[in-house]
Amino acid sequence: MVRKKICMLGTSAVGKTSLVKRFVQGVFSEQYLTTIGVKIDKKTVELAGGAMELLLWDLNGEDRFQRLSMTYLRGCAGYLLVVDGTRLMTLDPALLLHQRAQATLGEVPAILLFNKADLSDQWAFEPTVLAQFESQGWTVFQTSAKMGTGVDEAFHALAHRLR
Amino acid sequence: MAASLSPAPLPPGLLGALDVGVLEFQPTSHAFRLLGEAPPWLAQVWPALLDTPDDLHPEEAFLFLECFLPDAEAFWQAHASGQLASGPWTEVGADGQEWTLEAVALGVEGRPVLLLRFPVISHERMHTILQASREQTLVHHHLLSEVNRREVALHCIIHDLSNPLAGIRGSLQLMQETQASEEEQELLLDLGLRQTDRMQQMIRGILAAYAEERRTGLPVNFDDAYLPDALQATRDVVAALSPAAALKGVTFQVQPLPAEQATWRVLGEPTRLERVLFNLAENALRHAPIETDITVALHDDGSHIEVRVEDAGPGVPEGLIPQLFQQFAQGTETPGQAGLGLYFCRLVVEAWGGQIGYRPAQTGGACFWFRLPKPS
Repeated sequence: MVRKKICMLGTSAVGKTSLVKRFVQGVFSEQYLTTIGVKIDKKTVELAGGAMELLLWDLNGEDRFQRLSMTYLRGCAGYLLVVDGTRLMTLDPALLLHQRAQATLGEVPAILLFNKADLSDQWAFEPTVLAQFESQGWTVFQTSAKMGTGVDEAFHALAHRLR
Repeated sequence: MAASLSPAPLPPGLLGALDVGVLEFQPTSHAFRLLGEAPPWLAQVWPALLDTPDDLHPEEAFLFLECFLPDAEAFWQAHASGQLASGPWTEVGADGQEWTLEAVALGVEGRPVLLLRFPVISHERMHTILQASREQTLVHHHLLSEVNRREVALHCIIHDLSNPLAGIRGSLQLMQETQASEEEQELLLDLGLRQTDRMQQMIRGILAAYAEERRTGLPVNFDDAYLPDALQATRDVVAALSPAAALKGVTFQVQPLPAEQATWRVLGEPTRLERVLFNLAENALRHAPIETDITVALHDDGSHIEVRVEDAGPGVPEGLIPQLFQQFAQGTETPGQAGLGLYFCRLVVEAWGGQIGYRPAQTGGACFWFRLPKPS
């Protein structure tokens, strides 16, 4: 079976771990538990060409307490870049991580997720912002790890691009 | 001749007891071999460890090491001193149990050694994290109390604005529903207008305090040509309040008389100084009993001008004194005030390098005072 390493990138508390947990275990917890270092999960997905095992590298969010080591990206086939849709200030750090990831990995498939879509009353991004990223060539999903919205679709979309 | 002393050898089970797995890298085969006794947890999370202890491939057991081992090999080849730590990672065992681990590469007498252990946090790192965490807790508590105070203030402001609004509505309703004479209509209109003045004054007070807060911390530049004269400002404020004072039978006594000293200039800005004086004088007028005096006394101590505003009212209850100059401080018997007047005065006076305070007046009433530096 084909194995592919996928990384979760984004600043802290944007919901990377929750997205993996929703995708792998189908559950969500309201409790915020920060990730230290790396946590690796696996999930097999069925694609048209056969099964693919995804090795999901949930990397710590980068902030003033923790810097993300780019060596964690070694062998990464593609990544999900996660932004908290309720916090504008999580976008720029995500884009900086994207630049650093590109510098390390070269052009690999990446998908942009605006997470926490269930918090519509706190949603911070205008629809035009998402459309702007799409027009720049990004595949963009609005996801909710809490409700499960868009989560499977996002991981599958990335898996398809890794075939 | 003294025999040379050498340290006793380490007990073989020490590393296992320390919960550290020790592997030696074999460059020719790119495999590892187990050194010493493995800690029980390592055998549990990596069952193959004890099957082939001389031919181990930890990267197969721990996917994370696929990333770390190339760096570790480079470290060993360079014969670098010190250690290379991987940073923590979390493994999920076959039974679902999570293990957070750390790998460390080091050279021991030229032999490439890999330690597998639970993460160790340095004192410095722990200090940084605890410091930041406690700072955040303080900020969080401060924000919570600020939000709480602002909620209370918002309710006070709404309550205070609703009183004059009810008065205006009452006046308009009476005009609409009754066959009031022209004279009565004028009276009702005047009543309504006075209520709008009250509302306007409250809103100005709120806006002034807000504007002063925004200025806090900014450098203050005084324009020497426009420094205010404290005595002149006092007289202007007293003149403005005289009609209201006359209605209550209260008399303002300003000391000293203008002729006693040529100038009472202070470091400040005329409009805001007048507002400070107005707030203190208006406050005194509100609490002064009818047919009494309010004294506004100025004193020059050489470097500062002190202004005291004394009334013959009941004074401030002792329990309220510590909060008097805080934001949204309100007396229990002073409806119609948003609790920002004295707060505004403190912000202004302190921004100009002065002090402001309260003490009971010798006559038993209230004495509010402030001191401002004189220009050099």
